[in-house]
Amino acid sequence: MAFLDTIMWPFSWAVSFILSMWHSLLSLMGLPEGSGWNWAISILLLVLVIRIILIPLFVRQIKSQRGMQIIQPEIQKLQAKYKGKKDPVSRQAMAQEQQALFKKHKVNPFMTCLPILAQMPIFLALFWCLNRIGGSGQIGTGDTDYQSEGYFALSGEEVTSFANSRIFGVGMPDTFLGATQGDPALMGSTVTVIALTSVMIILMVGTQFFTQKQLMQKNMSEAALKGQFAQTQKIMLYALPLVFVFGGVYFPVGVLIYWTATNFWTMGQQWWVIRNNPTPGSMAEKELNLRRAAKGLPPVGEEARKAREEAAKPKSEHKGHTAQPKKKKKKKKKKKGQR
Amino acid sequence: MTVWIRHRDFYHLDTHPEASQGHSSVSPEPSRGPSGQTQYWRWWRRAASYPLVLFIRVWRKLISPLYGNVCSFYPSCSAYGLESVTVHGLFRGSALTAWRILRCNPFTGGGVDHVPPSDRAWPEEELPAIVRLNHPPIPRDED
Repeated sequence: MAFLDTIMWPFSWAVSFILSMWHSLLSLMGLPEGSGWNWAISILLLVLVIRIILIPLFVRQIKSQRGMQIIQPEIQKLQAKYKGKKDPVSRQAMAQEQQALFKKHKVNPFMTCLPILAQMPIFLALFWCLNRIGGSGQIGTGDTDYQSEGYFALSGEEVTSFANSRIFGVGMPDTFLGATQGDPALMGSTVTVIALTSVMIILMVGTQFFTQKQLMQKNMSEAALKGQFAQTQKIMLYALPLVFVFGGVYFPVGVLIYWTATNFWTMGQQWWVIRNNPTPGSMAEKELNLRRAAKGLPPVGEEARKAREEAAKPKSEHKGHTAQPKKKKKKKKKKKGQR
Repeated sequence: MTVWIRHRDFYHLDTHPEASQGHSSVSPEPSRGPSGQTQYWRWWRRAASYPLVLFIRVWRKLISPLYGNVCSFYPSCSAYGLESVTVHGLFRGSALTAWRILRCNPFTGGGVDHVPPSDRAWPEEELPAIVRLNHPPIPRDED
């Protein structure tokens, strides 16, 4: 725990600092200091800050996906080379060649690890904060009295205010599990805690499921939907909500607010990306081209590529005389070679 | 006679694809110590990295599948981490992994990025599976 605490130090500090800042600002604007709504809105604004910081990463991400349709022929060539080879060694070899190809053309369809990994400790920091300052969890707190000593950037008074704040009569540190086990530290009544946390868990899991389903239905190309990868995605679509249902019972109300808000942001962001920058060959791209056609605009992506190829094809009626003798010559040469 | 495989052998392969994989150093015992080109780590030297290796293995089994294929590098960050900690040990391995994760953002563009080669060697049967997994032989193009 001490080792993890050392790693988590900057994250715990940042999260408590942002919360403290928003709470002070909202109090200045007239919201009662000890109100649960003040703290709830502070958590929502914490989500906003983090996701706004991550926006440039997503913009850059979308830009690096744009070149994908240009290298489509080369990817198809690679797929043909590894067609029918499903052993792990071949799959690894194909993955390596594919990445080399992306690098060569300066495109990359993948999300990248850092933005995903960076969000995990932030969530963990908020989870630890709520669990330690009060309520049912109190994991590994030992004998530290955070309500008088403060928690990282939060002063002792703020910690007391945070730990004792309520929305709908339910305390910020209350959990579903605490309510079902009759935890004495529970601040709300058993029924209201169960009701509120259930609604929030359903919202959290529902947004997660919807986002993932949207991504699969609308933004995966037909080729990707047939592959092995799609099968794994399908399993994850149903397994992930289960993980969050079981995880959600341990989450304090404050953490549920954070997670639900993050999911809503992701959902909105993805809706925008799918609508305006769909994956080549996906359903979302067809829809985009239908909308563009209605406005009298030329198609983009896969259809545009097909249209270009169609235009580049030689048209027989124009080349009539010049094309004919050439073809004959070729045939003759071939025959000579065969003998 | 034991067949020894060096970590380096997998890198000769990248530049000279005709070399057969991993069997270039067939000797009864590799020279050890700072003077030699290859070294064999006994269990006490490997032990420090075991907890982290176990952690990355569990991560790859349980947590990686949760968010699917997201890495913009080959090998993926977790595969890179597992190889670098197994091959370079706890300290250099974790530093390399941390640096790799920091580089795995949309601004670097990803691509193929292998763990730097080390001087270590293993008897063939002891070679960690991740080394083979991360360095698959690339078949020739048809044309």
